[in-house]
Amino acid sequence: MAFDAFQKRRERQLLRLLLPALIPLAVLIIYPALYSVYLSMTNEALTGLAAAKPRFVGAANYFRLFSDARFWNSLFVTFVFVVGSAIIGQFVIGFIAALALKRKIVGGSVFGAAILLPNAAPEVVAGFMWISMLAGGDHATLSKILIALGLPWADWLQTFPLFMVTMVNTWRGIGTAMILLTAGLSAVPTEVYEAARMDGANPRQMFMRITLPLMAPTIFLYMLISTVSTISVFGLVYALTRGGPGGKTEVISVYIYNQSFTNFQLGYGAAGAVVALVVSLALGIAYVRSLKVEV
Amino acid sequence: MNRLIAGGLAAIAMSLLAGTANAETLRVALHGQAGIDAFTPTAERMEKELGVTVEIVEYPAPDKDYMTKLLTELAAGNAPDLFSIPGASDVADMVAAGYLAPVGAELAAWPGYKDFVDVAKQLAVSPDGETYVMPYILGIQQIYFRRDLLEKAGISTEQPKSWADLLDRAKEIKAKTGAYGLLFPAGTSWGGGAFAEGFSHLIIGSSTPQIVTDDGKFDLSGKGVLDVFQFYKDLIDNDLMPVDPLLGPEPWVIPKYEMFPKGELAATTCGSWCYIFDWGRESKNPIPNVTTVVGTWADPGQESGEFVLAGLGAPWAVNAKSANLELAKKALLETGSVDNQIETAARIGNIPSSNAVQADPRFQALTELVPIQAAANHGTYLKQATGMSAVSEGVARATEALLRKETAAAGAQAILVDYVKQTLGDEAVK
Repeated sequence: MAFDAFQKRRERQLLRLLLPALIPLAVLIIYPALYSVYLSMTNEALTGLAAAKPRFVGAANYFRLFSDARFWNSLFVTFVFVVGSAIIGQFVIGFIAALALKRKIVGGSVFGAAILLPNAAPEVVAGFMWISMLAGGDHATLSKILIALGLPWADWLQTFPLFMVTMVNTWRGIGTAMILLTAGLSAVPTEVYEAARMDGANPRQMFMRITLPLMAPTIFLYMLISTVSTISVFGLVYALTRGGPGGKTEVISVYIYNQSFTNFQLGYGAAGAVVALVVSLALGIAYVRSLKVEV
Repeated sequence: MNRLIAGGLAAIAMSLLAGTANAETLRVALHGQAGIDAFTPTAERMEKELGVTVEIVEYPAPDKDYMTKLLTELAAGNAPDLFSIPGASDVADMVAAGYLAPVGAELAAWPGYKDFVDVAKQLAVSPDGETYVMPYILGIQQIYFRRDLLEKAGISTEQPKSWADLLDRAKEIKAKTGAYGLLFPAGTSWGGGAFAEGFSHLIIGSSTPQIVTDDGKFDLSGKGVLDVFQFYKDLIDNDLMPVDPLLGPEPWVIPKYEMFPKGELAATTCGSWCYIFDWGRESKNPIPNVTTVVGTWADPGQESGEFVLAGLGAPWAVNAKSANLELAKKALLETGSVDNQIETAARIGNIPSSNAVQADPRFQALTELVPIQAAANHGTYLKQATGMSAVSEGVARATEALLRKETAAAGAQAILVDYVKQTLGDEAVK
């Protein structure tokens, strides 16, 4: 009896301790998410009759969304963008950087600081900086460098828009990948490597049979974080291309923005946002369940 | 205790005074340095004549971003008291949303309004018959061409008689000079320009020149709309129009500010502002002797006829929920002053709506604009209706599909019709 009372008191105490975190979570995240679901079932708009008198339209926005080629295009572009920049680009280069830093190379700290620098620039600032590098055909800094070297140049954001946007996002995210993966690498016991070395294992075997398997939880936690955060990248892409040319870089976040704040259809844009939320949740759950990652 | 009460009362009195002071501050939204520079003298006159403080709030450019911020604030109820509306096709929808205060009675009682050209007054009237905006300047649009380039290549500079004639001229330009022959703004990146500075030029001369029916619905399935998209397709398929720049984030920059001055683009739709802002004295890349070097053609009709497109140039409006509604309405009248019209014309190149400017030596000095202002009353315009913003976006999407060579003219028309139906409902489209 006394134990039960103690347990209940303890639970109430825990709840009181959690309240400062739960209240903002409910007000700033859960309520807006639920409101978005409601909004997605209305024809709410920023202008026109629907702004003055919005009405409930049920699942009409979703039917329209699924029949909109631009929406499917944005999902495809998002897929390529996430796989290209987060899963391949940032991970591979971040992992190489983490391995290099672990070996205590000369100038390692400078290298580490340099690779973190892109994170210091806000998304939009980074976007505008890269515009000066890539936009304007022969006026672009990159083109000028190539012209000086006698190499061919291109209108980078017109000719290879998705590749360029993916490359810029890779550049920006390497630092985060490196930090996470360095933490994972430092958690691998050195004794295991020593034992393997005594058994005659070469570096490749040690990497494939020790480093990678022991790093798996860290790698997949990184994958989870980077996938979900890359799906929501907006400022960088919007500053660079606004989703163009011709929708070739219109990732889902830019699509949602365009529907909500360029076409002024809040209800329809909210439907896109709800789908993006569901996709992110599904990916997150899939990562966590299939790989038993502890989060 | 008494000190405490006295202190409290003083604090209340000060906050009330502060509230009164806030009530006499008018917040005005504008974008672009040229617009702010043009408006600053008017703001000073407002402060002097109305005894208010005018706070100019610089909103983001380009127009789409400006409208996003403005509409978001209007919806939230914290928008400025007075603002300009860059795209006149947005006015009807803003009226329907209840954002704009009616100002018809104030304009009717204001002596300056009687000098306004009829076309400006007609354009200012919303579909419900009320006036919500000050139509102080007009955008008079035509086709601007590089006369020097055409004359050098031995190409006729005479007014084209029909769309076919215009297309042939563009082909001849391409063949003889290598320059792109003709540009009509298109695609989603150009925002409202695809409709207002492109599609509108052609539809007014088509077999179905109005897309709004008498009952306020949109008739978008007509042959005229199809023929307009076919004209775009012909331009694109024959490589007469620069396509790649139109798919970029700022599609006007390369063709208007670089290719046309260089002579790589020989003709484009534009407004009187091109003589001042785009290629004239306010331009960063001016064309010397612009009025001689660059000539104008009226928009030819599909078969015959000539049309000059008239539209409101960034009209001023009052926030219906302004805390200073009456004061804002008085300030609105000041935006219609001859002084503001001339200052705006000098900076941006739009055409003053008041005939009174003709007697003003400051306007007479703007030699590029004087003949256009005199002819402003002959301008043709598209009837407006609630939902025009959706039509504008639908045209942008349809023309983008043409730019990307994803569809034929009929497909582009279907994109337009489907988009407007999806956005406004089937009942909005005839």
